[in-house]
Amino acid sequence: MIEITINGTPIEVEKGTVLLHAAKENGVEIPTLCNHEGLNREGNCRLCSVEITENGRSKIVASCMFPVTRSISVETDNERVKRARRTVLQLLINRNPKSPVIQQLCSEYGVKREERFALEPDLCIRCGRCVRACETNGTKAIELVGRGFDRHVATPYETESDACIGCLSCATVCPTGKITYDESPGKRKIWHKEFDVLKCARCGIYFATKEMLDWAGRPENDRAYCDHCQKYIESVKFLTEHEQNK
Amino acid sequence: MEKILITSPEKCIGCGTCELACSLAHNGECRPAIARVNVFRFAKGKNVPMMCFQCEEAACMAVCKTKALVRDEKTGVVNVDADKCIGCRMCVMACPFGNIAFDRVAKVAIKCNHCDGEPMCAEFCPTAAIEYVPADTATLNRKKEFSAKMKQALEEVK
Repeated sequence: MIEITINGTPIEVEKGTVLLHAAKENGVEIPTLCNHEGLNREGNCRLCSVEITENGRSKIVASCMFPVTRSISVETDNERVKRARRTVLQLLINRNPKSPVIQQLCSEYGVKREERFALEPDLCIRCGRCVRACETNGTKAIELVGRGFDRHVATPYETESDACIGCLSCATVCPTGKITYDESPGKRKIWHKEFDVLKCARCGIYFATKEMLDWAGRPENDRAYCDHCQKYIESVKFLTEHEQNK
Repeated sequence: MEKILITSPEKCIGCGTCELACSLAHNGECRPAIARVNVFRFAKGKNVPMMCFQCEEAACMAVCKTKALVRDEKTGVVNVDADKCIGCRMCVMACPFGNIAFDRVAKVAIKCNHCDGEPMCAEFCPTAAIEYVPADTATLNRKKEFSAKMKQALEEVK
């Protein structure tokens, strides 16, 4: 265990714990956009910046990428930290004026959009959450491509990808709501690809794409029902068994 | 000691109190559609409450890549860590019993977790059709017998 201080309060943390988690466990909230507990941390958004002081020297670090290995003191909300976050938010709001989550953060930190630096409005903040989700799921259908202003998330050659299974986890983890999809009865369209969505044989809801079931390894002969109706089928079996046992 | 939920269809009156208690305990609203327990009502007053079996070899856990589904070794219960769930729904695809679902509003997988040791379905069941009992030999045998039969039934289907 290593003793550190967060905003003046001494706490003990296990060696290797990243500052973001150490702070959260001790009730100190640090804002972040790109961090997702289920995914690898990449430190892309820099919003979780904090100031650490060690041997009288201080510096700004991204708390999600800073493992505690020595005794340090941490400030998560002083003027220097706020200034660093304001810079990050300034850049984000210049390009992403319509994202509610960024608008909210900007109003908290008193940041306004600067028209002179305004770029074409875009909801994507290049945090790479969607890419990491797809990678973690093993499908690896999307990637950050291009450089500088052109950097964006895409499938290879911006066309439909065989790897995409239409699971929508990219859209689920997107912090700004940039990733959208079209869903109509029996069809789902995402990343230039159109999927057939299977219909439950009992209740008739559209519940999953064939590719999702393939990816999860569901047996071919056991795909007729949605989860709720599968439960119903099991209850019928249960009741039959139960009555035979009497 | 490990405890398990045991259901007795012959005692179930199909009132659906368990569904309400479940959704109220987990989501703060009485909405059977997001309850982890479901009551299936058949003709002649036959009713079956169903919830997750907390399988020893859980298909949902095996397929979860972010470790959002983790077994509590003390209680044997498979829990969903909502912070880690990326909403890929692979667990929903993989569960052969339909006992894990996806909350489309909260965008996380939802399943029975014995309400962290105090299952509200058992608590509020007026006829004790759902009981929360220690997993001693007698009940475990009953459960094992049941799962063996389930397996057999499943194989017949295949």
